[in-house]
Amino acid sequence: MALASTPLSPASRLGQIEHADTLALRNSRLAPGDPITVRVARSDGVAKQARFQQFSVPYQKWMRVLDALNWIAEHEATDLAYRWFCGSKMCGSCAVRMNGREVLACWEAVEPDMTIEPLRNLPLVRDLVVDRSPYEKKIASFEPWLERDAVYRGFPEPLSHREMKNASKALDCISCMCCYSACPVVRLGDLTDFAGPAPLVQLGQTALDPRNDQNKVARMLAQSGIFNCVSCYKCEEVCPAAIPIVTHVIEPLKAKAAALVPGMARHAHALRAIVAMRGRVDPGALVLRVQGLGAFKNLPRILRLLVRGKIAPLKTLLMRKTAATAAARRILNRVRP
Amino acid sequence: MKFAYYPGCSARSTCAELNVATHRVAHKLGLELLQLESATCTGARELRAIDPAGFYTLNVRILALAEREGLPLMTICNTCTLNVLDAHAAFVSDAELAQTVNARLAEENLHYSGRTKISHFLWVLHEQIGAKRLRALVTNPLTGLTVAAFYGCHITRPPGRYGFVDSRNNAAIEKLAEILGCRPIDYSGRTECCGFHTAGHDERVAIKLAGQHILAAKAGGAKTMVTPCPLCHTVLDSFQHEIEEDLGQKLDMPVLHLPQLVGLALGLTPEELNIDRHMIPATAIDDYTAAPNQGLA
Amino acid sequence: MQRLKADVAIIGGGAAGCYAALSLRKQGIKPLIICKGLVGKSGASLFAGNLVISGKLLGNTDEQARDTAEFLIKYHNQFLIDQRWARRCGEWIERVYYPELEEAGLYFRRDDKGNVVTSPGKIRSVAANVQGNSGVPFMDLRRKQIIHAGIPRLEETIATALLRNADGEIGGVFCLNLMTGEHIIVEARAVVLATGYSDRLHARSTGTREMSADGIAMAWRAGATLVNMEMQWWHTNDIAHPPSWQRMQVYPNPMLGSEKSARMVNSNGEEFFNQQRDDPLAFGPYTVQLKALAKQVHAGKARYDGGYYAGFDHCDPAEVERYTTYGKTYRQLGLDFPKTLVETAVTSHYRQGGIDVDTATMRSSVPGLYVAGGVGGHSNGLIGLATYDGKVVADGIVQDFSRLKPSPPNSIEAQAEGRRLENLRNASGGGSAPAAVKDKLRKLMWDKVGVEKDAAGMNAALDEILQIRSELPEMRIANKTRIANYEWLDAIDVINMIDACELIVHSSLERKESRGPFFRKDFPETDNTQWLAANILKKSGNGFKFEARPYELPFFEPGFTKKNNLEVAW
Repeated sequence: MALASTPLSPASRLGQIEHADTLALRNSRLAPGDPITVRVARSDGVAKQARFQQFSVPYQKWMRVLDALNWIAEHEATDLAYRWFCGSKMCGSCAVRMNGREVLACWEAVEPDMTIEPLRNLPLVRDLVVDRSPYEKKIASFEPWLERDAVYRGFPEPLSHREMKNASKALDCISCMCCYSACPVVRLGDLTDFAGPAPLVQLGQTALDPRNDQNKVARMLAQSGIFNCVSCYKCEEVCPAAIPIVTHVIEPLKAKAAALVPGMARHAHALRAIVAMRGRVDPGALVLRVQGLGAFKNLPRILRLLVRGKIAPLKTLLMRKTAATAAARRILNRVRP
Repeated sequence: MKFAYYPGCSARSTCAELNVATHRVAHKLGLELLQLESATCTGARELRAIDPAGFYTLNVRILALAEREGLPLMTICNTCTLNVLDAHAAFVSDAELAQTVNARLAEENLHYSGRTKISHFLWVLHEQIGAKRLRALVTNPLTGLTVAAFYGCHITRPPGRYGFVDSRNNAAIEKLAEILGCRPIDYSGRTECCGFHTAGHDERVAIKLAGQHILAAKAGGAKTMVTPCPLCHTVLDSFQHEIEEDLGQKLDMPVLHLPQLVGLALGLTPEELNIDRHMIPATAIDDYTAAPNQGLA
Repeated sequence: MQRLKADVAIIGGGAAGCYAALSLRKQGIKPLIICKGLVGKSGASLFAGNLVISGKLLGNTDEQARDTAEFLIKYHNQFLIDQRWARRCGEWIERVYYPELEEAGLYFRRDDKGNVVTSPGKIRSVAANVQGNSGVPFMDLRRKQIIHAGIPRLEETIATALLRNADGEIGGVFCLNLMTGEHIIVEARAVVLATGYSDRLHARSTGTREMSADGIAMAWRAGATLVNMEMQWWHTNDIAHPPSWQRMQVYPNPMLGSEKSARMVNSNGEEFFNQQRDDPLAFGPYTVQLKALAKQVHAGKARYDGGYYAGFDHCDPAEVERYTTYGKTYRQLGLDFPKTLVETAVTSHYRQGGIDVDTATMRSSVPGLYVAGGVGGHSNGLIGLATYDGKVVADGIVQDFSRLKPSPPNSIEAQAEGRRLENLRNASGGGSAPAAVKDKLRKLMWDKVGVEKDAAGMNAALDEILQIRSELPEMRIANKTRIANYEWLDAIDVINMIDACELIVHSSLERKESRGPFFRKDFPETDNTQWLAANILKKSGNGFKFEARPYELPFFEPGFTKKNNLEVAW
């Protein structure tokens, strides 16, 4: 069945051309020798505030951020501290922020005007070098190795790509920590127990592997804080390995958690139940289902919402059927997960 | 111009003012909206995670309903938009999924062929209405109104869908603001996350995140924020009191739904646009509204 | 200053080092890994693209099994290999390596029906997850196995000197934690050098940033015998721009699930290499490509540093993208893929030579010092071989264990090393930054010890090396901090590099022939009468001497005595 995919509205891309925000433009708008302005954050890791040092770097063909840093270290600031090993998008060690966005320095094209800073959400060592250990500790806490629940019977074992599709995407991860830096929930620190996108991708490599013992998967998911993902897609946006982190890792892990550790997913189950019953989400009903009597704790707030008409308790309680109700009941009660 | 119109759940409940405003503004713009009455919830974020089969069926159903009318689909909520876009993309790339879904839909004599065009109202303004026509319809240019656009995540990310390398380069609302006569400001929260999707079980994340964005908008000199997503609106407006408590300071930042900003420039009154239904009073924008009987057609 | 103790100190966290550590642990011996970078993320192991299947795995025929063995002996090693070792290796790979990896969880790419994806051909391979990226999940698995086994690892820590114990045997390692600037002495009953194949000694090198031939330099200083230091591979298909992408390869090997490979054209757009047609075994064609390129260079239609192009313009994009990562590079440059070809250039690649070992035990010529993987001079180029070495060295150490007595390293040596490092950190001469000295050395190697060498050029290189040596005491470090001081690291590195470069030039002068990727303009023939031999380099008195040790040919023979190297298929 060859269907045409309806094109996304061009209006959804307003601003793209003005900002030269396509790969073709970003790699062709500068000529060798053109001066690039680069501001680099310098810090000894002790001082709270980084100072910025500015350089003018001559563009080289298809220059990467790493090439700019190398030029600076060679010609102007020999003591610039920045990590890199392979220069070819395999080791994941050279991630920095360029103009506020997390990039892999060896993979990202330069901009004519760049501010380069270290990754966020990680302790600073010096200049652009961050301490990887909080991230490494988190991964280790997930016991990121396969534990089989059946005896291995020899190579090659029965396995299909269909079963490994999501795990396979997670296996592209090079632990660059770009997503970990970009995640707004990680940024809130101890407020939640959200493990962060990168540790969850690492967990997903085995947790989404059908050969893995499901009891272990349940145990690991129970400590993942996975339902704290706000679904903002900033991780997908910055991932240099183009891993669809939300779609192919976090959501499948949420699905597993909902099945294996249902107590974690009360909100999700409640939403589904409400849609299945009413066809549409009544936020009042949702809050009641999830919080129960706790929903009545903050009376002033309830009154405020009531006065403005933001909540309609009678509507919630009487559960009027809408035209959508029949369809939802039919579809969701049949298609039980 | 006629559209199949899918308002989503929020616009039918806690953000009912959005639906009202959309209808009024559509009328002014000459857009005919056929509301898809039997369309269900698209499932927010939760359904697609825990019940993919149900998610795809409900969303493709919405597309099929539009297709049956032979109309393009217009949405007014970011998450709804992303959900139907995702469902469409999955449908056209996975023949087995398409078959399964159509089998379910056949039970109510529905069928999807993959032909529905999906546009958020923001894009309809730019593509179907267009800058020229819109400018001509502006009778009350919002001169001097500084506006902080809060895009929300689901119509700016992930990049593969929208083509940007960096979602911050998105300029659709800024361009619209200029057409309407108001002045968009740059600030750090423009394309950041409001935290709505975990607010159901833990509001603190949304309160903390949105607090930073509202502060930044204030610091940037915005007199109002505007957002194309009622879920973002819910956090920014309905939670603003809780955000003020968390920050320990008053914010008094009005938050408009996108159609409301457009409506004001087209001469509609705050009452007609149900701006008085928000939690945060929009007194700051009173100076920019038209006189009462200027707006009625 | 930190003092640590382990049974075995393993220098290097790649395929060989990790497997050695795991094997030792399994046999009750306590290893400690010292890694200059990050375990599983440094060096060449990450870059495994294909995983060759040996023997009769996955339906390989007898002929394919034989082809694979022939390929290893001829095309990878030009007969400079212990053929019996190679056979043992191949058998282990067939019997143990693949099942063990899969049991541990490595995902050998399947199709939707469950078949392991390979491609038709004389030699077959598979991929871990995605072709072109096999090393990433492979080494990530090793890293996690190391963590699971509780094996201690010192990361971003450079081993700077081997230390002797009271018996005069190697009994420890002096290390520097690059992040903190702290000195660390590791006492161990045995030390394994597993620092890898790759080095970054030429202006264009596939060696990653940290690869400055440290293993070779330290081994030489400790008195170890080296072998075939002049023998190395060259990549022909690495992207010419930008400089940081020297290692970014337009991978020439057959694409999984396809009958095609990348092709190369010269500056006139004429195709001069397509593996399916031009490589008799249609696999691992680095030397075959190099020879094809040399002919183009001689005809003025390409250069070693560019002027020729590679790509997949004869392929369907879906065919390329289905199981490989190869399109990503082009797309990242905003190029129309697969229609566009990119300019490519030669890059110095794996050093075939290295430390001479007893391949049955992995012992070097220095008691207490063992070797595993690419830093040894006994094999080249496949992650399976490096892994096998990990097993053999572990078994070798277990065998020797009762004889390897615990004995603290010589404190005078250790103190001297500490002072040497501190002097480097405080380098305040009137000369260049260490990184500039490195670049000078690498440029010299590219210009005079590059693809095509001759005696005149190499003697000039030795003079220049002497000149650069005189600059070393004058090096200047701008910032004396202890924290993440890469200038300090460069100063330590460049001393290892210059030692290794000098040994490479001497060895190259000694081998008076051309063989495979080793081209001498003044000795263009492959000479199997004189030079089907290991070019052994030993310390002697205050200097060194060479010895030739012929290779036995139990399974494969070259079939000619002398022939112009460019006319030899391998």
